[in-house]
Amino acid sequence: MRIVIAEDSAILREGLAQLLTLRGHEVVAAVVDATALVDAVAEHHPDVAVIDIRMPPTHTDEGLRAALRLRRADSTLGVLLFSQYVETSFVRELLADGSSGVGYLLKERVTDLDEFTSALDRVAAGGTALDPEVVTQLFGSRRDPGLATLTPREREVLALMAEGRTNAAIARTLVVTERAIEKHVANIFSKLGLSASDGAHRRVLSVLRYLDGR
Amino acid sequence: MALWAPAGRVGETALVSLAPESTLRVLREPLSRRAVREVGYLLLAGPLTVIGLVYAVVSLAVGAALAVTALGIPLISWAVPGVRWFGSLRRRATNGLLGDDIPPPDPFRPPPGFLARVSAGLRDRTGWRAIGFLLLAVPLAFAGLYVVLVTWVWGLVAFTYPVAAAFGQDRPPVLFGWVITGAGSAFALWLLGAALLLVAPWAVRAFLLLDRQLVRSLLGGGPGAAERIRDLERSRAYAIEDVAATLRRIERDLHDGVQARMVALAMNLTMLNETLGPDASDESRRMLTAALGHAKDGIAELRHMVGGIHPPALDAGLATALDTLAARSPIPVTVHGVLPSRPTEAIETIAYFSVAELLTNVTRHSGADHATVELAESDGKLVVTVTDNGHGGASTDGSGTGLRGLTERVGTVDGRLDVDSPTGGPTVITVELPLHT
Repeated sequence: MRIVIAEDSAILREGLAQLLTLRGHEVVAAVVDATALVDAVAEHHPDVAVIDIRMPPTHTDEGLRAALRLRRADSTLGVLLFSQYVETSFVRELLADGSSGVGYLLKERVTDLDEFTSALDRVAAGGTALDPEVVTQLFGSRRDPGLATLTPREREVLALMAEGRTNAAIARTLVVTERAIEKHVANIFSKLGLSASDGAHRRVLSVLRYLDGR
Repeated sequence: MALWAPAGRVGETALVSLAPESTLRVLREPLSRRAVREVGYLLLAGPLTVIGLVYAVVSLAVGAALAVTALGIPLISWAVPGVRWFGSLRRRATNGLLGDDIPPPDPFRPPPGFLARVSAGLRDRTGWRAIGFLLLAVPLAFAGLYVVLVTWVWGLVAFTYPVAAAFGQDRPPVLFGWVITGAGSAFALWLLGAALLLVAPWAVRAFLLLDRQLVRSLLGGGPGAAERIRDLERSRAYAIEDVAATLRRIERDLHDGVQARMVALAMNLTMLNETLGPDASDESRRMLTAALGHAKDGIAELRHMVGGIHPPALDAGLATALDTLAARSPIPVTVHGVLPSRPTEAIETIAYFSVAELLTNVTRHSGADHATVELAESDGKLVVTVTDNGHGGASTDGSGTGLRGLTERVGTVDGRLDVDSPTGGPTVITVELPLHT
């Protein structure tokens, strides 16, 4: 996979590049700010851009702005926001135009390299990758009677769905058959009163919208 | 000439149009509320000043007489600050009735210990100044009463003489040794009365200039008080902004420094894990896994801690930060409103933590199943309203709700917190903050 990294901290930029190279990915450019990112993407046409949210000059949300701009210019480009914090409002903005090919992960997730690279793969393939912390926050903020009727296993499946995983991936994580997951998913959708929508992105969006209470 | 010409023209037209109005004003002045208040002030100030002086003289005299005993000096040291009370009463009468804004003197704060208290009492400049004021003000008070007598009283008597005479009051009044007899003289007297009444409010006002000056210079907090308040406001604003800026800097330094290094450390451990050869012992793998776990926990702890110091989302604006805050709330919270301009950092921080606390209250105490946060700017103020559909009954005197503490915190920038929470709900809490400290 061809990847562009935008990260203002030198140690993290290099560390991330090394890690990705270790896993056989090609880091075609590693830049320090949003302007350089836009140029690098135009020049290299990567599969995914891994973007730090806080970058110079204001260190607020330059990365998010750049990601949204890049996505509007080229909707096939995967963008993975990479941050030390989860800001729900940023997640909403990122997902406002749809959930295909976008991700938002905490930086520390690189410590589980398998998970991290699978998230990158998902984003590159037009899927979604949301940090478990995003899902936890949304979960914690919902007191819906529907949620209480879910079994612990169904809650697990719901959380993994919200992170953007496919049934096959969920089945692998929970070490069960894909068939079992399909049954869980059907149960969850009927208990929460969601219409079982087709396609992975639509599913993520409807689950998130439900959790977000909007 | 050229400069003056337009001004002259304006003046002329102004004179023409003002003339009847100002005449009317002069005619109406004796009946104005202000004139009445001024006379009331003089009538009140006289006795008040005399009583104050009697208190001062008696207590000082007794103190002096007892000076040979152990009682005398302490008595004086108590009496001197005691005069402040009369001074304060007089100052407040001046401010209240005449609309002055004479600042209060610094309060008497004696140091602990008997001897120190005595010494501070004897050296209480404000007390001595009040005594000086009473000494000067008593003759002034009599002079003031005389002004009232000459203008108001004589004026009224002369003005009403024709009426009194018509009702059979036949004893002719004696004014300035002039005995009034005959119709012509009565008319002249009526005219004189009218003139005196017209002059009366102005005469009293002119006299009061002296009294007010005396109150300001001897009973006021000195020229420094107002300036000192301004200085304090400035330094308080500086301190508050400085704290906010410091917290933000700490957050940035942590983000770019310690947090980044911790993540880098975790990355390196991950790489180590990846590149560990097949001959590595189970022992080393276990240790590496433990190290990675510690690094991850450390990063998560640091993240939570930093969120309490300065929420990073605040850098992107209050609305963004509140949006995230609302998303974390256990009950659904809707945030709306936009601010045309960004308040200063300290104000945003106070607003953010106020809403955080209010939403915690809503979750814990209100029994509400929905809350709304509204942001607005009105009259140069930031207005944040938190509404919930719970059972109400919140108040700032209630313990445990933290509303009192919140009021205090909002008060550090001269903000206000209003609670409207009737039993049965809904609860509306409004936090009003200046846009700048």
